[in-house]
Amino acid sequence: MPIAFDKVSHIYSAGTPYEFKALDDVDLEFSEGKMTAVIGQTGSGKSTLVQHLNALLLPSSGTVRVMDREITAGTAPKGLKKLRGEVGLIFQFPEYQLFEETVLKDVSFGPKNFGVSEEEAQKRAKEALRLCGLDEQYDERSPLELSGGQKRRAAIAGILAMDPQVLVLDEPTAGLDPRGTEEMMKLFRTLNTKRGKTVIIVTHDMEQVFVYCDEVVVMADGKAAAHMSARDFFADSSICRSMNILPPAIIRTCDALREAGFDIPKEINTTSALAKCIARQVKRHG
Amino acid sequence: MGNFVLGKYIPLNSPVHRLDPRAKIIAMLAFLIAVFIPAGWIGYAVLFVIAAGTILLSRLSFGFIWKSMKPMIVMMIFLFLMNCLMIRTGEVLVTLGKFSVYTGAVAQTLYIVVRLLLMIMITTCLTATTKPLDMTLGIEDLLMPASKIGVPAHEIAMLISIALRFIPDLIEETMRIMKAQESRGVDMKEGRFSEKIAAILSLIVPLFVSAFQRADDLANAMEARGYAPGEKRTRYKVLHMRAADWLTVVGANAVLAGVIVLARILP
Repeated sequence: MPIAFDKVSHIYSAGTPYEFKALDDVDLEFSEGKMTAVIGQTGSGKSTLVQHLNALLLPSSGTVRVMDREITAGTAPKGLKKLRGEVGLIFQFPEYQLFEETVLKDVSFGPKNFGVSEEEAQKRAKEALRLCGLDEQYDERSPLELSGGQKRRAAIAGILAMDPQVLVLDEPTAGLDPRGTEEMMKLFRTLNTKRGKTVIIVTHDMEQVFVYCDEVVVMADGKAAAHMSARDFFADSSICRSMNILPPAIIRTCDALREAGFDIPKEINTTSALAKCIARQVKRHG
Repeated sequence: MGNFVLGKYIPLNSPVHRLDPRAKIIAMLAFLIAVFIPAGWIGYAVLFVIAAGTILLSRLSFGFIWKSMKPMIVMMIFLFLMNCLMIRTGEVLVTLGKFSVYTGAVAQTLYIVVRLLLMIMITTCLTATTKPLDMTLGIEDLLMPASKIGVPAHEIAMLISIALRFIPDLIEETMRIMKAQESRGVDMKEGRFSEKIAAILSLIVPLFVSAFQRADDLANAMEARGYAPGEKRTRYKVLHMRAADWLTVVGANAVLAGVIVLARILP
């Protein structure tokens, strides 16, 4: 079931001096089973866009179609709770949502809200915690005792335990160390490829988009400025640059090398492949 | 909660916005005292005209004032019911079974409602036209004489400004946590009693955690920049009283004096 935005606008504080149009007539369709990155500058409407996906925000006008449901202006859709179980939304810095006495209780809070039995919820919580890299020793600890990175993992596990079909992540790796970032991104990619989950991820990190994502949506001034496959998006660095986005380091390196007279094929996308390619050419020139 | 307007600053450019906060605070205090002096309906009519004039002059809409009033309506209804049961002066207006409503009760309630209305109108004028920071500067200056007898004027002002500074942040934080928990299947509006308790807990615990965290961070940031309470310090923004400000102070006190005289000569 694709997720579609049909002429969706969202206006904050309508009718006050603080009025702000965060989404402006957005037409967009997220492909099912793909990992899509939503990028764009701060204030471009990314977070507003994704909060429509589980009806936390309702459109000011237009229609959002998610999992067979229509979300329109002013009408809270029926079966709202079920929708929120199917579309798991992880906010930026999700660690502030932790509140239970133990990590295990907190992670099983989500599934229990959706009517899963106590034992089943615990089972799912444990599974989600292991997926996120927190082993048994953390189960009975208070979430407030964990380190920042561990809190983040526990909070993400709290959504994964709900077993949503669509996973929406708003800058899930902001503030994590490089290793933690890589582990989390790999986890999301695995959930996408192995379990067929649709993953929508808001990010500022072009390296992540380049390495992990299938498709890219670019938001600019509340409009969907572009929607294309990640491959096409990065194939020509002029697309990135025209939107004021710094391409990933590897693309920039390839560009610089091309300018310096090296012959770098388009399909090169890893550091090791690039190194080999350069080595060959350097040797040839003796 | 985003619609909560009581005490909110509205950035507009009006003569009232440009007044010195000290002048505005003094004028408001004088007006508030005047509201509590029983000068009869004539007195209230005069005060109402002044309050409405101030609102017009500050370019606020009456809809905004009405929104500020809304939280008070329940209290007013409660007051009215209490008065109806308690006060038995004047003539009987309506009789409902054992109870009778007297004209005295209605008059008394109307007095209270009018006083509340006037108070809200004028305090909203102050808070909506004065930036929280200017307000605390004003309060600090006005408390300065009291600091000679040991009142920590600067600390009180700092406390108020920090509290005001955090209100929008905490409202935003509350919304954020609500959304995060709603995404985890919490129903903030409906559900059984036990579910509601869980919903409120899931909101309050993170809110407390984050409030303490913020307080800690702010304290550290202030110390890191060399803030020490009780030290003498200069100000970035220095307030100046201009002719319009003096006029406001004198005018407000003249109104207060006028109301007192009116109360004396009334039978």
